[in-house]
Amino acid sequence: MNTILRVIGGAAVLGAAGLAAFVFVPVQRTVAVTDLPADWKAPEGAGEYVMYAGDCMACHTAEGGEPFAGGRAIHSPMGTIWSTNITPDPETGIGGYTLDEFRAAMIDGIRADGAHLYPAMPYENYRLMTEEDIRALYQYFMEDVAPVNNAVEATALSFPFNMRFGIRAWNWLALAHEAGPSAATGDAAFDRGAYLVQGAGHCAACHSPRTTFMAQDGLTESDENYLTGGEVAGWHAPALRGEGSAPHVWAVEEMAAYLSTGRNAHSAANGEMGLVVRDSLQHLTDEDNLAIATYLKAMDGEPGTPTVAEAATTTETMLTEATDLDLGARLYMDNCSACHFVDGKGAAEIFPELANNSIVTAPQIGGLANVILHGAELPSTEHRPMKLKMQGYADRLSDDEVAALMTFLRQAWGNDAPPVAASEIGAFRAPAH
Amino acid sequence: MTDLPGFPSRRSFLKASAAGVAISGFALAATAQPAPPIQLDQYQPVFFTDAEWAFVLAATARLIPSDGDGPGAIEAGVPVFIDRELTGDFGTAVDWYMQGPHNAAADPLLGWQTPLTPAQIYREAIPAVNAWCEQTHGAIFADLAPDQQDTVLTAMQEGEVELAPEIRDFFKILLQNTKEGYFADPIYGGNAGMAAWAYIGFPGARAAYKEWVGRHNIAYPLGPVSISGDRA
Ligand code: HEC
Ligand code: HEC
Ligand code: HEC
Repeated sequence: MNTILRVIGGAAVLGAAGLAAFVFVPVQRTVAVTDLPADWKAPEGAGEYVMYAGDCMACHTAEGGEPFAGGRAIHSPMGTIWSTNITPDPETGIGGYTLDEFRAAMIDGIRADGAHLYPAMPYENYRLMTEEDIRALYQYFMEDVAPVNNAVEATALSFPFNMRFGIRAWNWLALAHEAGPSAATGDAAFDRGAYLVQGAGHCAACHSPRTTFMAQDGLTESDENYLTGGEVAGWHAPALRGEGSAPHVWAVEEMAAYLSTGRNAHSAANGEMGLVVRDSLQHLTDEDNLAIATYLKAMDGEPGTPTVAEAATTTETMLTEATDLDLGARLYMDNCSACHFVDGKGAAEIFPELANNSIVTAPQIGGLANVILHGAELPSTEHRPMKLKMQGYADRLSDDEVAALMTFLRQAWGNDAPPVAASEIGAFRAPAH
Repeated sequence: MTDLPGFPSRRSFLKASAAGVAISGFALAATAQPAPPIQLDQYQPVFFTDAEWAFVLAATARLIPSDGDGPGAIEAGVPVFIDRELTGDFGTAVDWYMQGPHNAAADPLLGWQTPLTPAQIYREAIPAVNAWCEQTHGAIFADLAPDQQDTVLTAMQEGEVELAPEIRDFFKILLQNTKEGYFADPIYGGNAGMAAWAYIGFPGARAAYKEWVGRHNIAYPLGPVSISGDRA
């Protein structure tokens, strides 16, 4: 909380300092990175595909509401930000947007009336999209999406966060990078993967850390902290590069399976990542998910040799003998071993591995605590329609027990993460949503 | 925490827990607590009247006595189990076919033929047995000495206590319910503290013994676990 206030306050102070500049200099819209002929048409289906890659529907559709008609509440300590109606309705949607205005919303975070958008809209990342994709999107929203007259509640944050011009200063930092995709390397799969990850896929929005000013710390691999891990609502969004990261350890095909189905031999996509798979990645072609996997892998090269073998056996033997179990290990036997087994390896694509699993060893314990207390469910995807579900244990385990169990998991089978205290669990008891 | 108007927790702000809870300052203090074991002498029967309760306490105490090397029906809270069972689906025969025609005197091999539900059978049979005891032994069942009670129970089992056809299966039902209360999961009120399971070495509802399948002649070192996760 303090961090947030300090950070937003920081942005606001910056804002105050440059107030005059903000108020008097008109906003600048970035010009198209490619000069396409006026009559350029996106191929059939291209716009919808980019929409899936960019996951627009997830944010711009209210629970149970018409697609893209806005009104999804995004809560923040400063108040609720409401996603807006992006159907082509002229009155309440973006029907009146010209292509230039639409592009500005996508890559500069500037609304048609010149006001700045809150960066809940990931324009930092969309800035790296091609003009072709932006035009395809524009065409899709204008021609294929049905207009819905739906006036969404206006976002009214408390002072000073209601001063949208303050975002302008923030944008100087956050939008320092050129618009348009990173330079191609010539490797088609790598380049395609890089493009999807950096641009429409906005993976860095969650998987990169944040700077002091809350801008994404790393938008492309030229940035040191790019995809080195971030945090979303108490969950750890694990590093997607570096020693021991999933792309480092998993085979390219395993990664592609995770992206398109939310599951593979090692892990399962939960929390925000489950939604990303459900709403976005499962709709991409297998080639594109392989391209993303190829790109992520290529940042790290070949995997090192797994090092956990010996520690893994020690835990497995202890659980098998079952003679001297501490509370955490005992709870694992009583509650979890039926599915995740004493070797912590589960069963490929059904019960995730808990050995060397990022959700188990994450620095933020929110993911693991949530899964244990409230259970987890994998989305149904085209390739793997079965919604795999794990039950929650909130009624069964006390805070002491959850903490002991988590501590066990975080140190079992070669996992090496700090213990968890019972006092940390209470915050997660309120059910998600 | 990384919430700014930028990337609060997107969408459902979901899983909100940490941030949301910390911010709004409302943390659910809830902690899963195992239900405290029911004390028999403090238990208020829901189905049984005082007279019936006295009968059930006395009868189950003789069916599984307390002076053996394991827990008796009383220590295991069997009467509580039966009281709850009779207020529930079993007692009221909710999912049985209970329409006529009824021929309560039909061959026992033909199954449940009485028009009465199990709860109604207890209700009618207990006064009938008590009346028989008064006539035969000069006191109601609960007031007889233990060895007299054993005699009565044996007589009931052998069919020597004359009961109307509608309630003739009372002893069978009582014995069955007593065993159920002794061995069922504690969640249903009996088998208090999983004492019956611990006594016979039953490992409980852990549901996973894969590592033990091939390991013969090794004592299983863990005590039982109940459905609600308690350990004994
Ligand atoms: C992470 C959530 C999120 C995603 C993903 C997202 N948006 Fe947004 N978008 C928002 C929010 C929130 C606003 C309103 C911000 C504000 O009011 O300052 C917004 C505003 C906009 C606007 C400005 C509309 C207006 O007049 O207010 C457009 C256009 C837009 N988004 C298009 C898109 C498109 C196209 C996509 C997919 C490529 C997309 N958005 C994906 C959250 C999102
Ligand atoms: C809205 C936030 C968000 C976005 C956007 C997002 N992720 Fe995630 N991702 C997460 C979270 C949170 C987790 C941890 C959840 C889990 O392990 O189940 C995760 C987990 C993962 C994992 C598993 C890592 C491991 O060590 O197990 C991979 C791989 C991944 N994401 C790839 C991607 C890619 C590729 C993109 C972009 C196409 C992306 N993510 C976009 C939030 C996000
Ligand atoms: C009945 C089978 C079953 C039992 C018992 C079970 N799980 Fe799970 N678990 C699953 C399934 C299926 C999933 C995949 C669903 C998902 O991740 O959304 C899963 C997922 C998980 C995950 C997320 C892994 C990832 O990669 O995101 C964790 C952590 C986990 N379980 C821990 C536990 C713990 C700790 C226990 C004991 C308290 C337990 N599980 C008991 C079936 C089970």
